[in-house]
Amino acid sequence: MSRMKYALPVLVSLALITPLSPSTAASKIPTVVVQSGGFPTKIIGVPKRIISLSPTATETLFAIGAGSQVIAVDDLSNYPANAPITKLSAFTPNVEALAAKRPDLIILSVDSTNSMAVRKSLNLLNIPVLMEKAPSQLSDAYSEILAMGLATSHVAKAKALVATMKTSINKIVSASKRKNSLTFFHELDSTLYSATSKTFIGHVYADFNLINIADKAAGADASGYPQLSQEYLITANPQIIFLGDAQYGENAKTLAGRPGWSAIDAVKYGHVVELPSDIPSRWGPRLVQFYQFIADSIAKIN
Amino acid sequence: MNTSNHGAPIGIGRIWNWRITAISAVILLVVALVGVSFGPISLNFAKILRTLVGAPHGLTGQERVLLLDLRIPRVLLAALVGAALASSGAVYQTVFRNPLADPYLLGAAAGAGLGATLAITSSGGNVYGLLPIFSFIGGVLAVLTTFFISGKFFAEPNSLLLSGIAVGSFATAIQTYLQQRHSSALRPVYSWILGELTVANWQVVRWSSLYILSAIAILITVSKQLDGLMLSDEESFSLGINPNRLRIIAVAAATLATATAVSASGLIGFVGIVVPHLVRGITHRVTNRSLGAIAMMGAAFLVIADLGARTLLSPAELPIGVITAFVGAPFFLVVLRRKRVSP
Repeated sequence: MSRMKYALPVLVSLALITPLSPSTAASKIPTVVVQSGGFPTKIIGVPKRIISLSPTATETLFAIGAGSQVIAVDDLSNYPANAPITKLSAFTPNVEALAAKRPDLIILSVDSTNSMAVRKSLNLLNIPVLMEKAPSQLSDAYSEILAMGLATSHVAKAKALVATMKTSINKIVSASKRKNSLTFFHELDSTLYSATSKTFIGHVYADFNLINIADKAAGADASGYPQLSQEYLITANPQIIFLGDAQYGENAKTLAGRPGWSAIDAVKYGHVVELPSDIPSRWGPRLVQFYQFIADSIAKIN
Repeated sequence: MNTSNHGAPIGIGRIWNWRITAISAVILLVVALVGVSFGPISLNFAKILRTLVGAPHGLTGQERVLLLDLRIPRVLLAALVGAALASSGAVYQTVFRNPLADPYLLGAAAGAGLGATLAITSSGGNVYGLLPIFSFIGGVLAVLTTFFISGKFFAEPNSLLLSGIAVGSFATAIQTYLQQRHSSALRPVYSWILGELTVANWQVVRWSSLYILSAIAILITVSKQLDGLMLSDEESFSLGINPNRLRIIAVAAATLATATAVSASGLIGFVGIVVPHLVRGITHRVTNRSLGAIAMMGAAFLVIADLGARTLLSPAELPIGVITAFVGAPFFLVVLRRKRVSP
């Protein structure tokens, strides 16, 4: 079964449609090859029916003025409020359900289930797929915004957004840098999984000169998310605790109730920070807000 | 365990039950047609038929690609995997004289799981190419290790079962350690363990059909003698069967089928136990007369389960392992209550 055999009629029908499109001759249709998430994606023309299967990509698309080109977003893309949220799953994408919406560009996370196979199948149906990878530092997040600008023909706005973000973040960080750096623990869940300075969120804390107590356990997990032991945590005695699991009901009170935790400085002096639910895991335009949130949290500690 | 309940003397009489085999083939055909006809995108049924038989005025463009390159390979892969798991399950149950034996028993599942985890953790996300090869090798190596450790295999099938459990636990321990060291692998490994057919394409269908169909052919060839293994070894010898050689051939072929199925689609549970017992329960036949029917009913069961996986939670996908167990377990209990089920 040759794939070309079926691709051919589609190509032919495309060629028949193109002369009808206004103002452009067939040869002048802008074609870009966008490098994103480690994969090149060829995009012919300006996409008008985009499906975003990534909350971060959704935020970026709307921030760079491509919102009107988006026809559907996944069930977790809850920002901005006017994004066309659907029941489409970003974790377990269903190829046919996606194709049924007749998209001309799909943004897919590399980490979704079988993302490579899903991409391959969608390409068979002649739908280009832009891959998105979780960034490990700010520069990766910026590259992704620029890639989306190129893919949607909003290059200038994407560049401007990145420039604004850079300036704002630099300003926030330099205004809040402390000479005596504080130690902190970032809690992912109540079984004490944390994030080292190698991770994206770890880089954010490092930008503020904070010292990450999870770094001593960095050897335990190649991805940068080790599970710490209770004893280590109590001995390490962090001065601030950031609760990434506040949305699951953890707070200063539940922490104080854990055996031995009342002796930890952060708990003793009330330096337990409940992180908002979405912003810390969205690597798009709202990063500025996250930096501001961390800066404000540190400022409250003397 | 007592097959003589059904009045079918072992090793004598008709070798093959053509009627039940033909009925299974018809069921499989109908189910496969249903499988390619339904999905989140609705296609014109008449056009599907015309496309399938190569008549003019069939599907065109994107719909044609959808049918020929997405749905058909997926239905074929489901059928192949279902046939592999059901027939090797039936054979394992006979060889080990144990109604609870399943295709994953000798460490194939745990070994394949370890192989898949290695592929995911070592390739940093781009797992598409390595995963099937690694899990296949892992599954086969684990079964070989089980054979090697179990020195007493030839005298006592139970020692093989026990070493299979030991090898399986050992492989699972290493897998868990690797996952703990590479937390980014947790999600892909988890979804692989639940089983999935989203990876189906013609390439996967081609290589898996080569192994699975040859393995099933071997099993059907030896099935004439398989039920002799239900007797004691002395009695088997008296029927002209060499039980040790037969066990090795049967287990090797069943393992080839299982390892291929697992590497193509992950760990899909319950098919290897439910389907053989159902077919035997319905037909009152022991393995040698119904292996072909068991393979085809396994294929049909998985095609239907996958249709559920594609459509029930649409627009998301539901892991197929959830469906096979959710449907399989209660169905199995009903049959178990109504009939005395033989291995």
